[in-house]
Amino acid sequence: MGDLGRIHQLIISVGGQKLTFNLEVILMTWIVIAVLLIFGVMMTRQRGVLPHSMQVLGELFVGQFYQLTEDAVGKEYVEKYAPLICSVFMFVVFSNLLGIFPHLEEPTKDLNTPLSLGIMGFVIAHYAGIRSKGFKAYAKEYFQPVFFMMPLNVIGELAKIISISFRLFGNIMGGSIIILVVSYLCYSIVLPPFLLAFFGIFVGTVQAFVFTMLTLVYISIQVK
Amino acid sequence: MMEFDAQAWVGVAAFVGGGIAIGFGAIGAAIGEGYTAAVANLAVSRNPKLSGEIFKNMLVGQAVAESASIFALVVAILLLFMDRGNATMLKAAALLGAGLSMGFGAIGSGIGAGFPAGQACLGLSRQPAAATRLTTNMLIGSAVCQTPAIFSLVVAFILLFMDFSAAPFNPTWAALIGAGLSTGLAAIGSGFGGGMAAGSSCEGVARQPETIGNVTTIMLVGQAVAQTPAIFGLLVSFILIFKVFPETTQIQTAMALLGAGLCTGFGGIGPGLGNGMAAEGAVRWVARNLPSAADLMRIMLVGQAVSQSTAIYALVVSLVLIFVV
Repeated sequence: MGDLGRIHQLIISVGGQKLTFNLEVILMTWIVIAVLLIFGVMMTRQRGVLPHSMQVLGELFVGQFYQLTEDAVGKEYVEKYAPLICSVFMFVVFSNLLGIFPHLEEPTKDLNTPLSLGIMGFVIAHYAGIRSKGFKAYAKEYFQPVFFMMPLNVIGELAKIISISFRLFGNIMGGSIIILVVSYLCYSIVLPPFLLAFFGIFVGTVQAFVFTMLTLVYISIQVK
Repeated sequence: MMEFDAQAWVGVAAFVGGGIAIGFGAIGAAIGEGYTAAVANLAVSRNPKLSGEIFKNMLVGQAVAESASIFALVVAILLLFMDRGNATMLKAAALLGAGLSMGFGAIGSGIGAGFPAGQACLGLSRQPAAATRLTTNMLIGSAVCQTPAIFSLVVAFILLFMDFSAAPFNPTWAALIGAGLSTGLAAIGSGFGGGMAAGSSCEGVARQPETIGNVTTIMLVGQAVAQTPAIFGLLVSFILIFKVFPETTQIQTAMALLGAGLCTGFGGIGPGLGNGMAAEGAVRWVARNLPSAADLMRIMLVGQAVSQSTAIYALVVSLVLIFVV
């Protein structure tokens, strides 16, 4: 039980500043990226009018997410944001599913991954808002309904980053803590595979979808 | 006046915590299951030919609603029979916090998970052809509305199994109890609200089975936003558990930390419920009026953001209490 909440870190001192690297997370993230690249190559290789099975899978997936994006942001922005939405979903879902394989851990279990994805979505959404409405109209929204609500509106916007990234982090890390504790209590007999199926596959997929939809929704609120 | 040693106090905290965990934890699931059974009766009386199907669906839904109480039972049994070893006084606070977190945290999710189960039974009697879709939607909705209870379980496990012996007693005891209260109380509203959204989505799927894609998506987004207060509670709990507080002899510092937990905890109940209501309305009307789905979703999100602002005030006050006072 000693490894509850422990992380393998590499700390390098550069000119008085400590640089911390979470080695496991970096390695696992690269594994996810490699898996995604392999899938991408397999799906786009030998494309044809008569698609092979991997191409069908890829087309179904991309088509589904283009449709979701179009429903949210409208026809004129779909080409711009759908690739982002597809890749966010693929990255997060593969990250969450990685934990069901022995000796591999979810990169999303470390707060740094969800937080950076959350900040990325936040920055993109606000940049999209400024681009589509112009800076003046964008800034004016912070002074709604009355001007002195401005600080609270800003805090409310920043709280979105916290809520979106802690939702993913809390679910994935919570699942792994529950699996760790229950495995320890029942000597790893019977229960852990079912828990892995629930937290790894089911919760992992649902939370990846929720994260993607919220990123999309934040963008769609800003552009409209 | 008798004097007790640390060992005795740890035992006292474990037994009180265990009682709180399953005592409060039993409230929610029982109400949710009762609601499911009541609506299942209505469904059977409407369509008696399907009583077997409805009965099966009711039992599956009740089993999912029960899981919050089972979490509480697990924590209570752990508190009663765990090897307490040579624990310090701080462990007593941690065990009490674990009981509070799980006990309060199971209330909302237990009640909430009853709504989708009941509405799925009713939907089955109305639209038997959509049975598979209804069951899938019910299972997704009620599993997602368990998330606040799972957060409470995580906080309870951390408090049970982490080693706090190195931390100074005085401000840390309040931080640990506050950590339990913060997630536990904030989970009440979020669990209940998430259940409301899931319930109306099952009703909507039964009315118009072809809208299931949009209805499930909006249900998930609405539930996710309704869970934000529970996430704030989890954030405050993590800060209170993992931040190192310097030793002090003053009681004010300790009370500020306890107050931080109470503040986010109570502050999260209302916004969680309110967000759930907003999501319920949006999901219900998306099923009836699919072409306006995008507008409904935007209005739902804006409304939820406004009703969430009170949770954000509570969070700000908690952070001030932790870092400034």
